[in-house]
Amino acid sequence: MAEELDRWADPPLLVLASLADEPRHGYAIIQDVAQTMGVHLSAGTLYAVISRLEARGLIEPMAPTGRRRPYRITATGAEELAQQTERMRQVAHVACARLSARPGMAGA
Amino acid sequence: MRKAKRPARDGRGVSGHRNAPQPQPRAPLLDRAALALYPPAWRARYRQEALDLLCDLGGGAASAASLAWRAVPAWLRPPRHLHGQAGRMRASLATALVAWSVLAGLGLVFDQLTQQQPVLPPGHAVIGWSYAIFDVAFAVSGLILAAGALPLWLLMLRRARRQRSGRDTVYLLMPALAPAGFLACLVILARFGRHPHGVGPWWFAALTLAGFAAAAAAAAGPALALRRLRPRGPAVRLAAITSAAAVATMLLASAASLVASAGLSLWARGFAAYHQAGPITIYLALVTAAGAVAAISTGRGARAALARPRGL
Repeated sequence: MAEELDRWADPPLLVLASLADEPRHGYAIIQDVAQTMGVHLSAGTLYAVISRLEARGLIEPMAPTGRRRPYRITATGAEELAQQTERMRQVAHVACARLSARPGMAGA
Repeated sequence: MRKAKRPARDGRGVSGHRNAPQPQPRAPLLDRAALALYPPAWRARYRQEALDLLCDLGGGAASAASLAWRAVPAWLRPPRHLHGQAGRMRASLATALVAWSVLAGLGLVFDQLTQQQPVLPPGHAVIGWSYAIFDVAFAVSGLILAAGALPLWLLMLRRARRQRSGRDTVYLLMPALAPAGFLACLVILARFGRHPHGVGPWWFAALTLAGFAAAAAAAAGPALALRRLRPRGPAVRLAAITSAAAVATMLLASAASLVASAGLSLWARGFAAYHQAGPITIYLALVTAAGAVAAISTGRGARAALARPRGL
């Protein structure tokens, strides 16, 4: 699953991260990702990602509130997100360590 | 994770929940057109949500275009949770049926413009072999499709009669009604549209369009009945598998027709208009597009049919 998630590139991770703390519907996900992660997801990208994540059981729809249907992360999704972020943290740690060892980049 | 600093617009909180439902304005035509490009199962599940999102985003061509572009992978790799195994087979069958009909219609146009001409150009072995392969593969494809779809057709017809659904009965009879209508057009043409040297070019164009309309109607009828009656079981599985075989043989016929067309443009230059690049380019593009849709759909349907049954 981890390799598969890698192949999807970033948007699925961004959506999972957005749903990590509380359920959100589509517009709220776009707003949250833009405000907290600095990435603008288009409507097409968002629903392509939502349908894939839902198909893999990483997120699930909740009962609609008004006209909108919020999504929440599942236990599998939270575990997947934790694994991915751990991998990213390790990569970032190694990259920072090696960059700081380069001459002239001690502060990196 | 850092929280968003300001609440979303329209009085929603960070999570975007509204306090009370508000009346839904009619979505712009552009947004609805973009969503109409998606498969029916996708639309049934996500259309309203996506329309609400586009409304919140303020609409616009860019948002609609992003949705329209993403319709392509939704067709090529439809999310599995939207269909059960039988649903995947039915959806693939419906798409494959329409694409097969387009390929068959293109094949008939090719046949009319080549083998059915009163004067045949000087032959070449490659052209002759291509004609033979085309004829055999075309006929075999039709027979496979008919034989494989017959049990499913009978099953749906019985169900439509049991439910006293006249509409579904008409849909199921479209493969007979549409060609009958086309034949009526032919009779009219034979009476009023004669040309000193056969059929006039405008009549031929009108006839071709009428033929494609008839083929589309003949395929759309059973496709709609599949969607409404939702049959399942061995008949659906058989139809899904045999439709893949029918499409494979029809693709062989189409490939043979393309080889023959290329051969005519090479070895029959100056005869009729076979040397012109325009018609063969259009034919190649149409065959490629319809063939790709048919191959992808039947491949998906056959995979679902051959997979271990789940909840059929």
